[in-house]
Amino acid sequence: MNQKPLARIVEGIISLLILFAFSACQPSRPQPVNEAGGTPVQEPNAEAPAPAEADDRIVIVIPEDPTAFNGIVSDTGYNQMVMELTLLSLAEIDPQGNVYPELASELPTMENGGVVVDDESEGMVVTWKLRQDVTWADGEPLTADDVIFTWEAIMDPEGGIWAEGADYTEKLEKVDDFTFRVHYHALYPGYLTQFGGENFAVFAAHYCDASEGFVNWNCNLNPLSSGPYVLDEWVNGDHLTFVRNPKYYEPGKPAIETIVIKIVPEKSVEKTMLLGGDADLIMWATEEAITEFEGKDQVAVSLSPTSRWVMRLFPNMAQRGSIDPKGSPHPSLSDREVRRAIRAAIDVNTIIQEIWHGYPKAVSTEFFRPPYVCDIPIPEFDPDQARTILENAGWVDTDQDGIRECNGCVSGTAGEQLALELTIYSEYGNELELTQQLIAEMLNEVGFKVELSMIEGGVMWGDAAGGGTEQNGDFDLDLWDDGYPGIDPTDYLRYLYYSESAEPDNGWNVMRWENPEFDSLLEQAYTLDENKRKELFCQMADILATELPIIPLFSVVNADAHSTRLQGVQSSINDLVTWNAADWTLVK
Amino acid sequence: MKQYAFRRLLQTIPLLFITSILLFTLINLAPGGPTAGGGQSRRMSPEKAEALRRQYGLDQPLPIRYLVWLVGNDWMKIDADGDGVAAESGIRRGVLRGDFGVSYQTRRPVLDEIVERLPNTLYLMAATLLVVALVAIPVGVISAIKQYSRFDIAVTTFSFMGQAIPEFWLGLILIIVFYGVLRNPVTGEPLLPAGGMYTVGTDFSVLDRLKHLVLPVTMGMVGWIAWYSRFLRSSMLDVIHKEYIQVARAKGAGLRRVYFKHALKNAAIPLVTILALDLPYIFAGSVYVELLFSWPGMGRLFYQAALRRDYPLLMAILVIVSALVMLFNLLADLVYGSLDPRVRYEREA
Repeated sequence: MNQKPLARIVEGIISLLILFAFSACQPSRPQPVNEAGGTPVQEPNAEAPAPAEADDRIVIVIPEDPTAFNGIVSDTGYNQMVMELTLLSLAEIDPQGNVYPELASELPTMENGGVVVDDESEGMVVTWKLRQDVTWADGEPLTADDVIFTWEAIMDPEGGIWAEGADYTEKLEKVDDFTFRVHYHALYPGYLTQFGGENFAVFAAHYCDASEGFVNWNCNLNPLSSGPYVLDEWVNGDHLTFVRNPKYYEPGKPAIETIVIKIVPEKSVEKTMLLGGDADLIMWATEEAITEFEGKDQVAVSLSPTSRWVMRLFPNMAQRGSIDPKGSPHPSLSDREVRRAIRAAIDVNTIIQEIWHGYPKAVSTEFFRPPYVCDIPIPEFDPDQARTILENAGWVDTDQDGIRECNGCVSGTAGEQLALELTIYSEYGNELELTQQLIAEMLNEVGFKVELSMIEGGVMWGDAAGGGTEQNGDFDLDLWDDGYPGIDPTDYLRYLYYSESAEPDNGWNVMRWENPEFDSLLEQAYTLDENKRKELFCQMADILATELPIIPLFSVVNADAHSTRLQGVQSSINDLVTWNAADWTLVK
Repeated sequence: MKQYAFRRLLQTIPLLFITSILLFTLINLAPGGPTAGGGQSRRMSPEKAEALRRQYGLDQPLPIRYLVWLVGNDWMKIDADGDGVAAESGIRRGVLRGDFGVSYQTRRPVLDEIVERLPNTLYLMAATLLVVALVAIPVGVISAIKQYSRFDIAVTTFSFMGQAIPEFWLGLILIIVFYGVLRNPVTGEPLLPAGGMYTVGTDFSVLDRLKHLVLPVTMGMVGWIAWYSRFLRSSMLDVIHKEYIQVARAKGAGLRRVYFKHALKNAAIPLVTILALDLPYIFAGSVYVELLFSWPGMGRLFYQAALRRDYPLLMAILVIVSALVMLFNLLADLVYGSLDPRVRYEREA
């Protein structure tokens, strides 16, 4: 009686296991592309390719799937990377910071009449002319209809989402198949890259299903290509395969037949694969990885000529937990002298050499790269100076325990310790952790009491209702990397430094800094007069350097590591590394 | 027994309901959210965040959100276009009607994502469990029969090591050794692949599949073998010293018959229950193994959804796994009851 049921049960479990074990058998042919709806699979022009020769195929490894072929819906970086492989936009920015036309036949400027300013209404009209030789992968020509279609899908209140330039744009008007006008109701300095740059691409009007909405449509998972590559296969979580687009408008390009993007979540495995020859390209190599690759013949590293990300300290000028810098100012950080002392106490050069292997450069201002370079001297590392500043600011170590207390300070209560919590975000990695520890030590030297903490990026940068620590003012000193994209810092400056942006969920002035002079300079910067802008930005740079609402430290490197057989890779802060994938070649 | 089973099943429903409320509340109250940015621009512009919040339905209070998750919002009016007027009907039908929603990240139906990944996890975990069973059972039995022999001591030592070794470290060592250092003597390529389920771009081949299975299964099975073999060993030791075994030996039964027919069958009963309780794990997957070996499975799906606060996907996975845990718990109890005649769930009159 006991034998049969037991035997049966064990047999049952084992056969269930064997059944599960074979449940994941893949058929021999790669599956057609995954898609959300029942839209027809876009046929690549060649038949499903036979397994590509190793010398005509490269492998890129990234840690997670892109979520969509769409950089506006979500800017993970992987989205933009696959978007650059398959789609084109009006104008792009090269690694040096120059805007160059892609779909546009020429860039509209005031000189060539492409930009007309209406002095009365304070608006402007920009006329774009498109190339006439670009087609989609199915042969249909790419016209102004596609651009207007894309923009209107973005602006659709139900199915769309916000994009840069939306607040300034009134409407788009088609002139003919290859010309259209953009009407602005205010001057928008970033107009050149509004329909291009890192995040924007033109989608096909005759293929993308507008009824699904810009954020949901089929094109996000299976776009109709205008760029050098066509999506052939996407096995979620495992890999994506791209084949060259025979209808690509640049003759003879791309040179590489197949690109496989493999999902490899572990950084150390990525590096091992690159060294072992199983991968050809890793995005966003860190300084540590670059040092590891030195001397290895099979790996080369491409560095961006300029930098974007500046590691910096964000001080909360309001008391922790409050957002009112005037009513409840932060006991120490609301005093500009304390912020100056913090900067003087930090030895940026040691940090760069010891932790970051010498790659970064010290930075003193937001305007450190072309086209806006302002001459702000790098503050000196001088701990004695820092101590003097703190003494004069009313922070004195009365009980000789190494930590200063308030003794005549501006905003703190008498006897209160000079204590701060220094917070970083966890996703960056080892270098940031070490930097945090070293900075804490340096601040301790001059009399600060520093506590360390680390939180998830999503918690630091979340919205106020979601418990975001910065929006809620629930922090003292945050340390992380930020920097404006592209060539126009105006909107970035507004989000970061404008006084109205200090309101929770209205901007990112989490320092709660208010400076009417800066505000008025920024308002004037919304002009197309480049000389005027340069002047205004440098005036703003002066204010930022004196007041130190944010304490910039150094710029981190932007690099991509690739195998030496892959040529043509050029890292850029203005776009993802696949920006020039059409120009890549393989040496045999 | 049938009445008991039926009663337990009925109890599962309110339990699942309460669990879903708890999970939903916890997930939504945790700091951070799907509009927290973290991409290239680090933080999300306020206009975009507002649009996304509206699309995700996060502008509603928590109880309403739960209601929408449960029964959908196609029967009520929502403000889909952000003009402040709730004039459009929703499109969600709710979990009770089979609609688990769409992922915040990819906008694909959540069940599609799960169904894509589930076979891969089942494949890997079933293979692991198979190897574990094939190794742990004989090892446990022999260990008990030959207690304190050299075999037993060796096995015990390895068991403790296996349970103490951090899984992740072991996986990294396996990759370094078998992919980084060792080479295939014939082709000069790395001996075993560094990850993935199969070699991309090639046709289906059993050998290829097996090669890709070796390392992840090794990493996953070490802790499990240690645990199961120890468990079976102590269970067998318990049974071997019982009187009825002595009686069987006294009556002249051979060693093999005694050990495998009488002892093992009784010793295995608790093991079967443990196995049944571990079965939901093969649906949930091991996050470490999948992260390290780039295995596109449920564990990684859950981990990445948790990092990005992809609430619909998280809720779906959690609810499904909870239901499986409850189901397998019930199964374990029933199996135990049917195997061991001393256990009775009904009240004897």
